[in-house]
Amino acid sequence: MPTISLPSRCDRAAAEALLPEMIAALDAGTLTIDARECTQIGQAMLQVLVSARRTGDGAVIEASSHLRETARRLGLSAELFDDAPATGKGNCA
Amino acid sequence: MNAEEIQAIFFAECEESLAAAEQGLAACMAGTQDDDTVNAVFRGVHSIKGGAGAFGYIALQGYTHTFETLLSDVRDGTVPITDALIELMLRALDTLSDHVSAARGLGETPDDAALQAELTAAMAANAGAAPTPAPAAEAQPASPPTVHAHDDDDEVTSDFDFAAMLDDITGSTSPAEASDAPDDDADTSWVVKVRPHAGAMRNGSEPLLMLRDVIDFGAMCIACDVSQVPPLDSLDPGTGYLGWIFAIPGEVDEAMVRDVFDFVGDECGLAIGDDAPMPPVRLPEPRALAPVAQAAPPIAAAPAPKAAATPMAKPAAQPPVAAAPPASAQTAPAPSAAPPPAPPAMGQSIRIELGKLDKLIDAVGELVIAQAMMAQRLAGDGLAATEELALLEGLTRDIQESAMAIRAQPIGSVFSRVPRILRELTASTGKHVRLDVSGESTELDKTVIERLGEPLTHLIRNAVDHGIEPAEERLAAGKSPEGTLTLSAEHKSGRILIRIADDGRGIDRERVLAKAIEKGLVVPDVIMSKEEIDLLIFAPGFSTAQSISNISGRGVGMDVVRQNVKELGGRITIESEPGSGTTFTMTLPLTLAISDGMVVNVGDQTLVVPLANVVESLRPEPKEVQGLGAHRAMINVRGRFIPVLPLYAAVGAAGAVERPEEGVLIVVETEGAGRAALLVDAICDQRQVVIKSLDTHYRSVEGVAGATILGDGRVALIVDVDGLVANSLSDAGQFAAGQFDTGFVEAA
Repeated sequence: MPTISLPSRCDRAAAEALLPEMIAALDAGTLTIDARECTQIGQAMLQVLVSARRTGDGAVIEASSHLRETARRLGLSAELFDDAPATGKGNCA
Repeated sequence: MNAEEIQAIFFAECEESLAAAEQGLAACMAGTQDDDTVNAVFRGVHSIKGGAGAFGYIALQGYTHTFETLLSDVRDGTVPITDALIELMLRALDTLSDHVSAARGLGETPDDAALQAELTAAMAANAGAAPTPAPAAEAQPASPPTVHAHDDDDEVTSDFDFAAMLDDITGSTSPAEASDAPDDDADTSWVVKVRPHAGAMRNGSEPLLMLRDVIDFGAMCIACDVSQVPPLDSLDPGTGYLGWIFAIPGEVDEAMVRDVFDFVGDECGLAIGDDAPMPPVRLPEPRALAPVAQAAPPIAAAPAPKAAATPMAKPAAQPPVAAAPPASAQTAPAPSAAPPPAPPAMGQSIRIELGKLDKLIDAVGELVIAQAMMAQRLAGDGLAATEELALLEGLTRDIQESAMAIRAQPIGSVFSRVPRILRELTASTGKHVRLDVSGESTELDKTVIERLGEPLTHLIRNAVDHGIEPAEERLAAGKSPEGTLTLSAEHKSGRILIRIADDGRGIDRERVLAKAIEKGLVVPDVIMSKEEIDLLIFAPGFSTAQSISNISGRGVGMDVVRQNVKELGGRITIESEPGSGTTFTMTLPLTLAISDGMVVNVGDQTLVVPLANVVESLRPEPKEVQGLGAHRAMINVRGRFIPVLPLYAAVGAAGAVERPEEGVLIVVETEGAGRAALLVDAICDQRQVVIKSLDTHYRSVEGVAGATILGDGRVALIVDVDGLVANSLSDAGQFAAGQFDTGFVEAA
């Protein structure tokens, strides 16, 4: 199972840089995205994560507390994390 | 557009925001303390804060946050508006202006600790008095200290540490409590739907920061629309696919929320109201239909199935949309954007880089010259009366006027700096000065405006420091203890007059003269008129100040003022009445680029007399001209004697008409020296001339305002009528010897 690690600063440049790698990795099965180092995240990377979850076999995101908190405030917990309270995708946690 | 350009726009907007806030506070001070006025101040500070956050100016952002929080309380009515508060806010605004300058790299970051404490104290003093603290207001008192926390961990966090900022805002509120908040407010809260587009994610701009600002208002995320996010292999990270629905507390008005997204303009789709459809995704290629069709499901999930369905059913979506509440109709981009994705309402103005404008003006200048050359060529072939030529001339003039109008700006932008100068002067001199401003909408060229700041500042400092007396002295003289400074601007015969008047003690001519004699500027026992004595204060190195203050008194100010005004092609005059005040009048050209001129022949030279100075031209009868001494003559124009100035003497032209009755007299009006009649051989033409600065291409020459290129390609000097007349009337003897060097013409 391929794993891709996200940098601490997950801005648009990081999203653009990692996108091809993720596309390639997703072909090889469920992808693990290691986002435990993530201390900042922008909309571009959030979109990439949402898309990765919805593409092919999907992806498992190992999130930092920062990423979890951001996702929670922006109603993306259920979308991004399997262990989020089951309130349905796209709704606030 | 790169990040630097965006930053430049941010700073330009900062200036506008500061000016708007200053104006609002001035209105508050004058007694207008309604919601609109307070809101204007709030918006000004708020938009600076937004941009500061986006660009990572932590100090600026932290400071604006404190200031904004106080303003928010003022707006909510929890902090009453008092004179002391307005005074505090004005000081806060000055410091904000310094912060902006520091962010621009134009100065030190101001030490705002004391002021922040004062601002916080102003909030705290009234916090208990608040009758019904709104949820948003409750959260705010906790904010200022946490902003400092940003400063501290600036290096570790970042310019968009979203969760940390959210923590600051919500404090210790647990998620459960936060979720409960909007429910309490269910009656009044309203819904906004946000979809950031590509532009909101470009150049370091981060939509999540704006969402943070929205949450800052007490908003709660109801849902995130992820339905538009494509599979990874067709995803463009730069396109905005996510959309959010927020519940906003009723106390927060729509304008505040819109302000948050103002920074990215139409690059963020906004829809207000539960029923409004979610703004569609803006894809790079025009694939408008598909996203719209897909946009329906998430909206259906939100409580607006009807609104989403209706426009889909009818291709002509306008009527149903119009039937929706006005707010949503205005803001929601038309859902059935089957034709090209309907651009959201364009702003009323655009920003243009000044360099581009200068290029346009240069090109127009060349066009004017080319047109003149063609006219001359055609005239040479006997085709002067060609209809198309007249048409072209009219169009050229229209283009030129439009181009100049683009550069024209209201002088208010310079005047708006004056209140701050006065506040600083009040702080350092203890003199209280009331400011009266009129004509601030008078427009003049941007270059002139830009270079006006320095002389204006000098004159104002001078007026307060030297002119306006201390309160005791004023009271003793039977005046109000508060001084008055009057600033006015008006257009007058193609020029602009700017007056700076004080109601102070006036110029002490005796002391000025004594000082001038002491400094050797004039010989003792000289007999000088009042006006001449007044003008001595412009002499280099002249100062009567008993002690050198840091405001004025170094004897450089007034000299520099005159130099500045001269460089702008203007003049400065003084009127002073002992005991009742002094008025400085600056007369400046509206533009430095193009003007109308009368082309005249003087012997072997061709000169241009600016039309703004010309009153009339006439061929005198011999009996109308009377000699006056060896070199001078006067002409009787309808009973009024006007001195005749032979232009040939000034330019050293050979073979010119020397007797007034054989040539043409052009009667000109000057600011300082009244009327005079310039003797020329003949008037050739009257046309627009493109002014080329002699300073830039050669050097400054007395009596010459500049040069221009004539239709036949020759260079002609433009006469500085005011300078020439003033000089020659004060010294007729020198005049005859020839005043200016025409080497430039020969060299060209």
